[in-house]
Amino acid sequence: MQVFLERLFDGISNGAIYAALALALVMVFRGTGTINFAQGEMALFTTYIAWGLTTKNIPVVLCLLIATIAGFTLGAVTERVLVRPIEKRSLLATLIVLLGLFLALNSLDGILWGNQNHSMPSLFPNGVNSFISVDGARLYWANLGVWLLVALLVGAMFQLFNRTRLGLHMRATASNRESAALAGIPTGRILLLGWGISAAIGAVAGVLFTPLNPDALGLGEMFPLLIYASAAALFGGLDSPGGAVIAGLLIGVAESMLSGYVSAIGGQLQEAIAFVAIVMVLLIRPQGLFGSKEVERV
Amino acid sequence: MTLLEVRDLTAGYGPAEVLHGVSLRVEEAEIVVVLGANGAGKTTTMRAIAGLIGRKGTVNLDGASIIGLSPDKVVAAGVSLVPQGRGTFAKLSVDDNLHVGAAKRRDRQGIKEDLARWYEVFPVLASRRKQMAGTLSGGEQQMLAVARALMSRPRLLLCDEPSLGLAPLIVREVFNVLQRVNTEQQMAMLIVEQNAEIALGIASRAYLLEAGEVVSEGTAESLRESDAVRRAYLGY
Repeated sequence: MQVFLERLFDGISNGAIYAALALALVMVFRGTGTINFAQGEMALFTTYIAWGLTTKNIPVVLCLLIATIAGFTLGAVTERVLVRPIEKRSLLATLIVLLGLFLALNSLDGILWGNQNHSMPSLFPNGVNSFISVDGARLYWANLGVWLLVALLVGAMFQLFNRTRLGLHMRATASNRESAALAGIPTGRILLLGWGISAAIGAVAGVLFTPLNPDALGLGEMFPLLIYASAAALFGGLDSPGGAVIAGLLIGVAESMLSGYVSAIGGQLQEAIAFVAIVMVLLIRPQGLFGSKEVERV
Repeated sequence: MTLLEVRDLTAGYGPAEVLHGVSLRVEEAEIVVVLGANGAGKTTTMRAIAGLIGRKGTVNLDGASIIGLSPDKVVAAGVSLVPQGRGTFAKLSVDDNLHVGAAKRRDRQGIKEDLARWYEVFPVLASRRKQMAGTLSGGEQQMLAVARALMSRPRLLLCDEPSLGLAPLIVREVFNVLQRVNTEQQMAMLIVEQNAEIALGIASRAYLLEAGEVVSEGTAESLRESDAVRRAYLGY
């Protein structure tokens, strides 16, 4: 029971991060119609910025804030400078440009911060003894903090989507860009904002995720996260924010349980779980659990 | 008083020019109809005025140029287009669709009043306000598209083929509503139609478009009686 609970806690923490990143992917997909391959690397870039600031003894909360603003700017600039001029030509061209950005950002990280891994300080008490005992299982404050912050973030996004005028305009632009423009919505500004917000979510996810494991901050950190988040976004339905969040949590827990209890998977084949999930979804239910059928065309 | 003045409008898609210098005007509170066969450039004219495609020439609204404006700025200037095929936000509720139509407005009270007014004019929408727009019938979606455009309080309403794909009875209903809005709100309209009979019935003036040029213009009565229009669009 104790081991099961600890695996569950770990799974939920990872799942919360996948959920946040999947939500970011879905936001971009709904606006632009592409998966943002550079989503993970944008998050890595901003996480390095946050880490760089923590080494200057700046409080982690402040670093998180600065990283989030940097993420928003990075996302917005990417939309305006790279995506908007290209997407008129073709979706494929946009995908290639985003792949290029993926590689470019990763190399830039290497140039700026080197290829050594680093540990990132946590927002929350992160000592060996900072846990509460649940039925004998250790639930670390750091995990609880991740759950809480991601829940707040997701809650805020849903309030934005469903309760505000801006959210309505975002949904309208996602549903039919031309009609949105004809209704008087400045669609360019809405897309820019969508990219900015999604990169900002990525920045928060990066700063939350990295301290969960020692020496986690490295050039290869975000690629597996992108795979998990893409699997979650596909699984939930690429155009469904709610689906992305639920699927992210499911995949996090499934990963933790399978690698813990199935010795053949262990620590080595974890990422295969995400790939299997992607292939199964594409074969059995291409629109995902909560997505709508139209997305299949893309 | 001239509300919309279009002079020597050229527009097209990429290197293909579709409009070769179209000129037309719409007076205040007037319904003007543009007739023409498939490919004559009717939809292109509408898209050019609404700012969706690149265009050259003169487009003035009440004397002020709106030719360089992006679509949302054209709406802000007071011109709203009901696009061909309706352009419904399928996954948004009827209510949300109408709120999107008021995107450029800040007057909460006025928006509320307009919602109530259009729900009264379009009772079929009122009974479905929480329903997803994608589940409405073609006629209902056309009504929704018109109501959505009206939510921006336009000075000029552009309608691109409002009869497309609708049953004759429903077409009648749509045009009745357009006529009613025109009379009650003194709203000027520019309507593009293939169904010449019904469109000429509510219009005061008309233009005939062929291969990207205006080949004939006049009062609705005079076009109804012209041989060219009769043979091509009225069928007698």
